[in-house]
Amino acid sequence: MTNFFTFMQNRRRRGVAFLMLIIAIGIVLYSVVQVEADEPGVAPSTGMMCTENATATFTLTAKEGYVSLTDGNVIYMWSYADGTDDFQHPGPILCVNEGDTVTVVLHNELPVDTSIVFPGQANVQANGVPMEPQFNGAGELVSMTNVAVANGGSMTYEFVAEEPGTYLYQSGTNPGVQTQMGLFGGLVVRPALGADYAYNDPDTKFNPDTEYIMMLSEIDPLMHQAIERGETFDMSDYNARYFLINGRTFPDTLAPNQASWLPSQPYSAMAHIHPYDEIANPDPALDRFIGMGVEGYPFHPHAFNARVVGRDGRLTAGPGGEDMTEERFSIPVNPGQTADALYEWTDVYAWDEGTFPVDIPSDQNLVTGLFYGSPFLGNQDTVPVGAHSVNQCGEFYHIAHNHALQQITGWGVVLVGQVTFTRIDPPLPNNCP
Amino acid sequence: MRKTIRTRKLNRRDFMKLGGGVLAGAALTRLLPRTLGQSGMIALAEDYSQVTAAPADLSLVGTDGWIYLPGEVPIPGAVNQFYQPDDYAPGLLTTYMFGFRDVTGLSEELVFAQKMKCQATAPLFWVNEGQEYRVKLTNVGLQMRPDLIDEHTLHWHGFRNAWPIFDGEPHSSVRVPIGRSLTMYYQPFHPGTYMYHCHVEETEHVHMGMTGSVFVRPAQDGTPIVAANGKTYDRFAYNCGDGSTGFDREFVLNLTDVWAEAHWADSHVQLPDWTDFNADYYLLNGRVYPDTVAPNGIGLDTNTGILQPHPDHPELQYQPLSSLIECEAGDRVLLRLINLTFGQHAMTLPGLKMRVVGKDATLLRGNDGTDFAYDTHTIYLGTGATVDAIFTAPEDVTETQTYLFYNRNFDRLSNAGGQGYGGQMTEIRVHPAGTLAPQTEPNTNPRL
Repeated sequence: MTNFFTFMQNRRRRGVAFLMLIIAIGIVLYSVVQVEADEPGVAPSTGMMCTENATATFTLTAKEGYVSLTDGNVIYMWSYADGTDDFQHPGPILCVNEGDTVTVVLHNELPVDTSIVFPGQANVQANGVPMEPQFNGAGELVSMTNVAVANGGSMTYEFVAEEPGTYLYQSGTNPGVQTQMGLFGGLVVRPALGADYAYNDPDTKFNPDTEYIMMLSEIDPLMHQAIERGETFDMSDYNARYFLINGRTFPDTLAPNQASWLPSQPYSAMAHIHPYDEIANPDPALDRFIGMGVEGYPFHPHAFNARVVGRDGRLTAGPGGEDMTEERFSIPVNPGQTADALYEWTDVYAWDEGTFPVDIPSDQNLVTGLFYGSPFLGNQDTVPVGAHSVNQCGEFYHIAHNHALQQITGWGVVLVGQVTFTRIDPPLPNNCP
Repeated sequence: MRKTIRTRKLNRRDFMKLGGGVLAGAALTRLLPRTLGQSGMIALAEDYSQVTAAPADLSLVGTDGWIYLPGEVPIPGAVNQFYQPDDYAPGLLTTYMFGFRDVTGLSEELVFAQKMKCQATAPLFWVNEGQEYRVKLTNVGLQMRPDLIDEHTLHWHGFRNAWPIFDGEPHSSVRVPIGRSLTMYYQPFHPGTYMYHCHVEETEHVHMGMTGSVFVRPAQDGTPIVAANGKTYDRFAYNCGDGSTGFDREFVLNLTDVWAEAHWADSHVQLPDWTDFNADYYLLNGRVYPDTVAPNGIGLDTNTGILQPHPDHPELQYQPLSSLIECEAGDRVLLRLINLTFGQHAMTLPGLKMRVVGKDATLLRGNDGTDFAYDTHTIYLGTGATVDAIFTAPEDVTETQTYLFYNRNFDRLSNAGGQGYGGQMTEIRVHPAGTLAPQTEPNTNPRL
C-alpha cells in the first residue's frame, strides 16, 4: 500500500494521491521551517499554548465551525472559542495555579442547550449553587449538569483548583453527541512547588521549554454530517474514521501553533527537545495526555520509555509517598483519563563516521526518509537525486503514534491519523536555524 | 579499525543508586568532545563502508508467504466466495501474509530463494544486556505482488535512546528496497520483553504479519540467588537483586490478529479501509488454538533453506513456534506477553496466580525501590505493550495437570466466527517432577 511519502515509488493511486502528496509535503516542509522561525516574545511555535490570566477567569463560547483534515476533508464541528475570538478546536487550554478560584463563563451560541463538566474538580458551583444533573418535569434526565440554554444562554461555573495535574473539561449535555462533536478542552493546574513541576514532588521537575499536551480524539464524519444537516444520528451506527491529536491529523500535527493555514486548529503536537545533558539540559520533557475519545488509545513514543508520574491529576505514589511510577513504551490514554509522562533522549553512543558500528550502504542502495539527515546527529548528507529531505541541521526525529495502527489511518487513507514526531536537535552549540 | 563506544550513559536512577556523580561526570566528559563543535552542514561521503564492521549475528529477510488458519470467512454478498481460505492459497495453506524469516548462515542464493516463504510470527531472538548484536535485514520482495515495490525495515519497539537509523521508522531514517540489505546494531541496556516489526506502511505490514518477539536477558543471569521461596535461581527476568524474578522456564506469547478481508485484499491487489478493521482471528505466536499447542517446527533444511514442519502438522510449516507451556511441579514459569494486535486484551489463567513483575521492559519497582509487582489471574495487555508475569506451578502433582490460558474477551476465542474453542488460547501442563529436562531455550519442552 502507499502513503503520502512513498507513493512515488509505487505504481498505483496516482491522481488524487499525487495532489495530496504535494499538499502534505508542502505543509510539512513549511511547518518544519516555521517551527524554527519564531522570534523571542512571540508565542512558542511548538509546546503547550496556555490560555491564562491573573484572575483565572475564562469565557468560553460554544459555537459551530469547521476543521480541515489532511486527506482534504473539512468537517463540521462544535467547540469552544476563547471569549469573543473565532471558533477553535479543541477549546482553549486553561492553565491555572493550585488553589486558584477558577471561573468559567459559558456562552452558548449553539442551537441546543449545552453545559460543561470538570472531571477531577470538587464542589463545582453553577451560577452560585452546587452543580447537579438536570431533570425535566417528567423526571427525565436532560443534562448531566446545569446548562447554558440554546441560542444565547449563559452559565457560570466556579471551583477551587485544589489538586495540581492535567484535567479535561467537556460537554455534560447529550455528551455522546456533543463531546464527540468537539466540545472539549484541556485544563492544567500547576503545583505550588512551581510551574516547572508536574506535581508537588521534586521528582516531577521538567524543562518548561519542552512541555507538551496531547489531546487524543476521534471523528465519525457521518455523525458530523447528520448534525450539520439537523438530522438525528443513530448512535448504534457510530464508527470513527478520523483520529486526531490536538484537533489535527498527521502531518498537520507537526505544524506550528497557530499555523496560518489551520485557523481553527491552533495547537501543534510536535515535540522539540535536546539530548539529555547533565548541565545544559538536565530536566526531562513533559507530555500531558488526555483521552477525549470513546475508547482507549495506546500511545507509543519511539526511542524512549516515558515515566508516567501522574494519572487523572494525581501523583503516581503510594500512601506514604512511595514512588510507583512506571516507565512505559505504550501509554494507555483511556476515555476521559489523563496521564503525565516525563521523557528524555540520551545520546548514548555519540557515533561519528569513524566509530559507527555497522557498514551503511550508499544512499543509492537505500530509500531515505523525509526527515533523514544522515546516520549521525549533527550531520547532513547530500540527498540522493529524486529524494526529498526537510532536515535542517542534522537533527534527529522519532515518531510517536497510536499503536492501534488502524487509528493512524483516516477513512481509507494511510498515515493521516494519530501520529506526531519528536525532533531532537544536536547539542548546543549547533548549526540549527 | 572499528571502534565502538561502550560507555553506557547512566540514567538518573543509576546515578542515585551509585550515590555520586563522579562516574557519570567522567562518562559525560568522554562524550562531549564527540558532539561539540561538529559542523552540522558538512556533507559527508555517501558511503560509510570504509568502516569494516563485524558480521551480523542474525540475518532476516522480509518477504511474503502463506500460513494455515482453520475456518471460512465468506465475502459478504458473494456466492461461494471467501476471504478465507484465500482462493490463491497453495496446498494446505489458507492465508496470505507478509513476514520475516531467519536466513542466518545461508548462501545469498538460498537467501533470495526464501521469497514467498515468510513465517508467522517472525523469528524469536534474544540478546544479553550490554551485548553488541547486529541484525542484517534483506528485502527479497513480494512474490504475489510484483506491482508492490515496498521497502522494509526492522523497528525494535521499545528500544531506549535509539538512533533513528537503527529505529526503522521510515521518515526519520532509511528503508531497505528490494534486493538490498541494511545491518542494524543493538546494544541493549534494559532487560525485559520487547517486540519488533517492520515500520514501512506500518498499518499494512504489521497487520500482514511482519511482527516478532525479542527480549533482553539481565546482567544478573548466571549469578545464583536464593529467592524468598527458598529456591535458588540463576535465570531472571530482570536485575531484581532478590530472586523475585527468577524462573525455571520461559515462554514468549506474541498476540497478533488477522482480518481476513485485509489479507485477501493484499493477495487480490485491493485496498481495505483500515478504519473498517474487524479481526476474524486472534493468534498466539502465529497460530490459533488448538494449533497453538502443536509442537514446534523442526527447523530449517540448511541445504535448501526450507522450513521443516513437525511431521504431524505439515500445515503449520510456516508457523513454527508453539505456545504449549509445560513445566514440572513447583517450577516458576515466566510468561513474556507481547501485544501486536490492533486491540486490547485480557489474558486469564484460572487456577493459577500470576505475579506481574514487569511491563514494557521495566521492573515494577519505583526509583526508591518500592516493589509494586502484583498477583493476578487476568492480565490486561494494551496494544504495543509487553507484560512479564511469573506463575508457580503447584508442588503436589502426581499426575499431569492441565490449565488453560486464554483471552477473556471471549469473542476472541472464536476461529472465524465459529463457536467453541479457538483463537488466543493455549494449555499449561504441569507434570510430576522427573518428567522434563531443564529448559535451555524459550518455548521448548525438553523431555528427560
